[in-house]
Amino acid sequence: MYAFDYQRPSTVSEAAALLSDGSGAKLLAGGQTLIPTMKQRLASPPLVVDLRGLSELKGIERAGDRLVIGALSTHAEVAESSVVAAAIPGLCKVAESIGDPHVRNRGTIGGSLANNDPAADYPAAVLALGATLHTNKREIAADDFFQGLFTTALEEDEIITRVSFPIPERFAYAKFPNPASRYAMVGVAVAKGPQGVRVAVTGAGQNGVFRATDMEAALANSFTPDALKGISVDPSLMNSDIHADANYRAHLVTVMARRAVEAAAASLSTA
Amino acid sequence: MAVNMSGEVVLAADRERVWAMLNDPEVLKICIPGCETFEPDGENAFRAVARVKIGPVNARFKGKVTLSDIDAPNSYKISGEGEGGVAGFAKGGAAVRLEPAEDGGTRLIYDVEANAGGKIAQLGSRLINSVAKKNADNFFTKFAEAVGGGTIVASEVEEANLGAGGMP
Repeated sequence: MYAFDYQRPSTVSEAAALLSDGSGAKLLAGGQTLIPTMKQRLASPPLVVDLRGLSELKGIERAGDRLVIGALSTHAEVAESSVVAAAIPGLCKVAESIGDPHVRNRGTIGGSLANNDPAADYPAAVLALGATLHTNKREIAADDFFQGLFTTALEEDEIITRVSFPIPERFAYAKFPNPASRYAMVGVAVAKGPQGVRVAVTGAGQNGVFRATDMEAALANSFTPDALKGISVDPSLMNSDIHADANYRAHLVTVMARRAVEAAAASLSTA
Repeated sequence: MAVNMSGEVVLAADRERVWAMLNDPEVLKICIPGCETFEPDGENAFRAVARVKIGPVNARFKGKVTLSDIDAPNSYKISGEGEGGVAGFAKGGAAVRLEPAEDGGTRLIYDVEANAGGKIAQLGSRLINSVAKKNADNFFTKFAEAVGGGTIVASEVEEANLGAGGMP
């Protein structure tokens, strides 16, 4: 490892202050993206700010008609949480599908969302569920948060503290994982809730997670897999890489969308 | 691995002005994403340093840019090669053509062939196409602003030839 400074602040405002001087400090939550990147020397931040002592960022609770998940909650914690299972069971399944047990024991929802990898799972779930991201500075609606490839609305000294979800009537996520990395080659999240029907797609686009508005309109009329018949996705908007070309991805989106709707229509939800 | 990209931008300036700006190191420096320095280095050549920042990756690339096949104000080829230490290397060339467009504007057509290798290409193989397109789009958006207005009409990445050994 090259030499770098390490700080472990005890409050969120201390952490934010360490980020404000523009010197390229990076936050460490689960480290599932940051640490491998540093080990490969693809980034060498002069200062690593470890968030893991901040208990104010932990915790999962049902608060009235919303489910609130602390930013430092690991994927394993969300997957195994009885609170999440009672409120949005499909969200347990999203967390369970991320990476492998090592990744799930360390990786966090805050880290995943702040990184906004175009093949990550949480961005699709959060966008479909119309969640709100709470930071040390403000609240950001999911529709405003994801701004492209690895790009979010977060400012340099802004830290996600928790994510709150309105409770949906129906929600499910269907993913076609890369067999080695388990990243989504295509992942489709479908939700029917207080904001209507929302369909969010990850892994497939060239610019990160996006909403499939044609599918949303069709499902708003009839929340059944058959409502999606005949809706196709434009391959010129899809990503091509060594795992799948654009045409294959465009096709996979329709298949995963159907599977998500089947699972959502069959799921039980608790109001 | 190889990446091929092509696109078209319609610019609100005449060809002479667009040509002058395509050859101006001050303009190129502002338009190249992450460019820190861009200085003349001999006839039709420049030295450049650019910081590549995509997601978790933040690596500095140093390189040389040369202009060739110069046919003012119609077309040129701009080639570059850069290395980023352990991060890897990239080299490529773009054939750039200028045609008159409606209302005294200019249509800029480009065709890029690029190669990337080393860690950044190996670990980023699933992202190469999206990142290349994003960088090209950023460059031309800034260039259109510098020239006084314009829109990207088309922008695509063709199938990349990735060879063996890519990682998820």
